[in-house]
Amino acid sequence: MLQENLSAEEVKILELLKSVMDPEVAVNIVDLGLIYEIHFEENKKVHIVTTLSTRGCPLGDVIMQNIEVVLQNAYPGLEISVELTWEPEWTPEMITEDGRRAIEL
Amino acid sequence: MQAGLSTLNAPAPRVVLPYYGFGAIAFLISGIILFIAAPDMINHYLSPKLLSLTHLLVLGWISMIIFGALYQLIPVVMEVKLYSERLALITFFLFGTGILILVWSFWFFKFQRSIGLEIGGVLLILTVMLFAVNMFKSALKTERRNIENGFIVTSIVYLMLTVILGFLMVLNFMVPFIPRSHLDLLKLHAHLGMIGWFLLLVIGVASKLMPMFLIVHKLPVKLLSYSFYLINAGLILLALAFYFYPKSLVLTAFSLLILAGILFFLRFVFIAFKKRIRRKLDIGMRFSALAFILLFISLLLGVVSVLSPGIIGKFQVRLEIIYGVLIILGFFTSLILGQTYKTLPFIIWLQKYQSKVGKEKTPLPMELYSEKVAVLHFWTYLAGLILLITGILFASSLVIRIAAIIFIVTGLLYNYNVFKIILHKALHE
Repeated sequence: MLQENLSAEEVKILELLKSVMDPEVAVNIVDLGLIYEIHFEENKKVHIVTTLSTRGCPLGDVIMQNIEVVLQNAYPGLEISVELTWEPEWTPEMITEDGRRAIEL
Repeated sequence: MQAGLSTLNAPAPRVVLPYYGFGAIAFLISGIILFIAAPDMINHYLSPKLLSLTHLLVLGWISMIIFGALYQLIPVVMEVKLYSERLALITFFLFGTGILILVWSFWFFKFQRSIGLEIGGVLLILTVMLFAVNMFKSALKTERRNIENGFIVTSIVYLMLTVILGFLMVLNFMVPFIPRSHLDLLKLHAHLGMIGWFLLLVIGVASKLMPMFLIVHKLPVKLLSYSFYLINAGLILLALAFYFYPKSLVLTAFSLLILAGILFFLRFVFIAFKKRIRRKLDIGMRFSALAFILLFISLLLGVVSVLSPGIIGKFQVRLEIIYGVLIILGFFTSLILGQTYKTLPFIIWLQKYQSKVGKEKTPLPMELYSEKVAVLHFWTYLAGLILLITGILFASSLVIRIAAIIFIVTGLLYNYNVFKIILHKALHE
């Protein structure tokens, strides 16, 4: 579940991550509920904690690499780290309303 | 690498793609053979042309694609790297050569000594042994010791038994040394292959992939366990009965165990489809849904043909052939046609675009093939299948020939998409 109390910059990052798509479902990873945590330290680093909808996901590396590239472009010079977690396990309940609409289209 | 990721574990596309290419072409050619061999479809099952066609379908088409897909999917389902890519490539050449020799030799088989069948048989045994080594070595590394992987590993044991028995049957035609009828042995061979190898493998892979594709969680895995034990117990008992005591009552009882096991799996599939978040089925999943419906119909037919031989009388042999057609050209073929679209585009997409993701605009994997062509061959496939069954039921070579032409069209459309994907050139390349 996405952490609460995001700072203004972290909300910006969340919006930015909506450009990262799951290529199989064709829905962005934020609306799929895959992003759990966003930590931004001014002039220093961005740290993302993400999960995948299933273990062994064949597109997992691509998604994580995509997050890194997007953040590197938006925050050049900052330390970017993307951490993969399986805790808590992702469930379909984590999909946002927008995500649900996109999937059902 | 972080645990649970599989992209970096994926084998090189050059290892996997030949399997898809060979399989697609074999499917097309089997349509042509069906056209030529149409009159043989209504005779006995031990006709050389029917044996030739069946082996082209089960080995050249179904097993070929399963081998390729499995090499690709081992990292997904077992979360480990394939033990040896080189072995996988060698297996392809052995397998391809073995299949061609075997199919050719069956066509001209006179139920006496056939060097071709012997050579083909040896090549196939070698192939399957190397395939098994690759799979078992990979499986030993996995920490995911779940029921899905149990299905996969067990299916490979049955594959070995199927091929060895097939080879012994070839030898037995020359110098009879097995004190059993060829027909009972053929049934044993077919059941080990269809249920032990194909079906168990499909259950193992599908129960892992379907929830991924449909986006559905927390499925009753217990159903899979029931399915696993019932099918295995039923199949082992059935195999022993075919050999030692092939009486109809015993065979029926053991078949019912298998049937119960398959029904538990179908219940699992039904729940997955019902609870899915992703309501719209893409072409891959439409083919898969059709496949499960065809499996259910073939089971009903199987039960009717076993339980009421008196009613169906002269249709017995035809119904048994239809039963085989529904399983091979129905269930497995539909599933593979569909799952091609759920695997092949991703293999190529990762190869061409993995390094470009986020840096430039990339197409979606589903944009690598023509959806229109896929939908078209969904309908031609279904029409061909219905006509083929009608043709067999009414013993009409003409109707079977028309069905074969429609299958050839399906094969051409399918090949168009397969090679469109395989030969895809990256944008900005």
